Amino acid sequence: MTIEIVGGAANRIPVAILPFSITQAPGMPSGLHNPVEVVAGDLGRSGYFRVLDTTDVAVPPAEPRELQLPVWKSRGADAVVIGQIRPRGHDRIEVRFWLLDAVRQTQLTALVYTTTPEGLRTVAHKIADAVHLALLGEPGAYGGRIAYILKRNGRYELQVADADSQNAVTVTVSPEPLISPAWSPDGQRLAYVSFEDKKPVVYVQNLADGRRRAVAKFRGSNSAPAWSRDGRRLAVALSKDETSQIYLLDLLTGDAIRFTRGGALDTEPVFSPDGQWLYFTSDRGGSPQIYRASLATGAATRVTFEGSYNVSPALSPDGRTLAFVHRRDGRFHIAVMDLNSHQMQVLTETVHDESPSFAANGRMLLYATLVNDRGVLATVSVDGKVKQRLSQSGDLREPAWGP
Amino acid sequence: MKQLAYSILLAALLAGCSGTPSKEAAIEDRGIKATEAASADGAKIVEAVETSAAAGVVPVSEAAGKSAEGVTTSGAATAPVSAKTGESVQTHGVVVPGSEAKPLVDGKSAASGEAKNAGAATEGKATAQEGATLPKPDAVPTWGDLKNPEHPLSKRRLLFDYDSAAIRDEYRPILEAHAQFMKANKEAKAILQGHADERGSREYNLALGQRRAESVFNAMNLLGVPDAQMEAVSFGEEKPVAEGHDETAWQQNRRTEILYQGE
Repeated sequence: MTIEIVGGAANRIPVAILPFSITQAPGMPSGLHNPVEVVAGDLGRSGYFRVLDTTDVAVPPAEPRELQLPVWKSRGADAVVIGQIRPRGHDRIEVRFWLLDAVRQTQLTALVYTTTPEGLRTVAHKIADAVHLALLGEPGAYGGRIAYILKRNGRYELQVADADSQNAVTVTVSPEPLISPAWSPDGQRLAYVSFEDKKPVVYVQNLADGRRRAVAKFRGSNSAPAWSRDGRRLAVALSKDETSQIYLLDLLTGDAIRFTRGGALDTEPVFSPDGQWLYFTSDRGGSPQIYRASLATGAATRVTFEGSYNVSPALSPDGRTLAFVHRRDGRFHIAVMDLNSHQMQVLTETVHDESPSFAANGRMLLYATLVNDRGVLATVSVDGKVKQRLSQSGDLREPAWGP
Repeated sequence: MKQLAYSILLAALLAGCSGTPSKEAAIEDRGIKATEAASADGAKIVEAVETSAAAGVVPVSEAAGKSAEGVTTSGAATAPVSAKTGESVQTHGVVVPGSEAKPLVDGKSAASGEAKNAGAATEGKATAQEGATLPKPDAVPTWGDLKNPEHPLSKRRLLFDYDSAAIRDEYRPILEAHAQFMKANKEAKAILQGHADERGSREYNLALGQRRAESVFNAMNLLGVPDAQMEAVSFGEEKPVAEGHDETAWQQNRRTEILYQGE
């Protein structure tokens, strides 16, 4: 997959990320990739940082006292990242890094991780998260994983990848469509809709062993799974009693309890992070709009009012921001709404936007769109300033940002 | 032709699904380990101290091939990787070119003989006698009529207006023909498959397609077809018949298709 940066913050923080010092010692696994590439890639693509060229560093410093901080200040760096890797016991390595303030000549953060050689990439994303937090005061979103559907060669693949779209693994392949992947809160399972039975059926699959089962296969259509916070229930849209109504499905017992009633279409449920509310799409008011209903009483109120098509609700982890698809002049954009002030903001200029989901830090949204008639994934910061696009041969769609 | 192949595939699938659910059997496992990393958040800020957070990551391993037509899932092999039985592949129905469509629902099959007359034009002015008597080839619509381009039963597609599930008047003869067919052939089971155009949310479009399927379901119901003989399902925007991105294509895609189990 390739990543293209479409926009960025006005003032990017200049950061020098030096190659990590890799100790040559007995027991050191060979072929380690220097984490500098992953860390620099993450921070550079985020749109918040300007990553300085450090390719001329012949001998990377192994610790702060080997670093000439004033040199990096004169080269324009506000902050410098250095690190070292050394063997630790059988088949394990220790990764240390330091983040230094080049202007004030102080240390901002230093952390140490023990991992396996295969875990180095994951650690590199965590280092990028730590740098982001230290310099911007809010968490980064480099360490998560994404799930999405790739359509290629007439087949549908459910894939899971790192948030930088690397390490993609296909977890399910089907000749029939797959849609609506949803991460369990612990990141161990995916729920999704498969049409392999010639109708939509909801499956839950363990990522660890690939095992899965059909959890909603009632008469009619079964779709739109969303996890409860405790991972024990799914909210789903079923048509077994009436056209597309929302049910709460107990994953242990298999019982489906009807949650919405009435002849309207109700679908795309999502639980609020505090477990009090269910947000969903309904056309009960004559056009598809987002509603929220109390899980305790079932009483529903309308949330979106602007325009005649607002669908696909997603909630930020703090429950304060709603993201959704908003139609304006026949075009479909990603929009956000502050749930306290009810202020709405359209974030994207692309016109076929679908399926928004929040990163764990609540600062970025992942969504699907079309570019030159091809499905691509894109991210946008919740203020609309920073945008990236992920593309690959084949059609990408239905992304979900996971833990 | 594509439609025929699709119907055959559907038949094979439904046959596979009609007994005990063979979901498990349809899956083959490939081993791929999921990446997991414990959080390093607990790690201390150090000068040179050893608080460590394990980032345990297990290697990727590959195993077992996958079936050509079936669904394949993968995961880390905490359980031994096992390829499932050959039955599984059949559950997913490999299309055999030239194979003949047969009703699978009726074991006793009075109709199957007539299905062979697929080409012969048995123009049926069906009087829809719901009797125990054998269907009269000349009067009652037969399985063969479904494939006869001269017969109203061969018409399977109803188109809809934008954001609408209202059935247009022009489709009344088609609905009546199918209702008569089902009343005359109690073993026939219809799959009413609703579809939407590509615009907007996939899940909302799935719901719209469902509404279109159910609108045909209800119309047939009013014409005397029992609930148990039909199922309304939706494919949303996932199976367009026209690939364009304009109203001409969208109109073709907003539809309900009448399919029969066992065709």
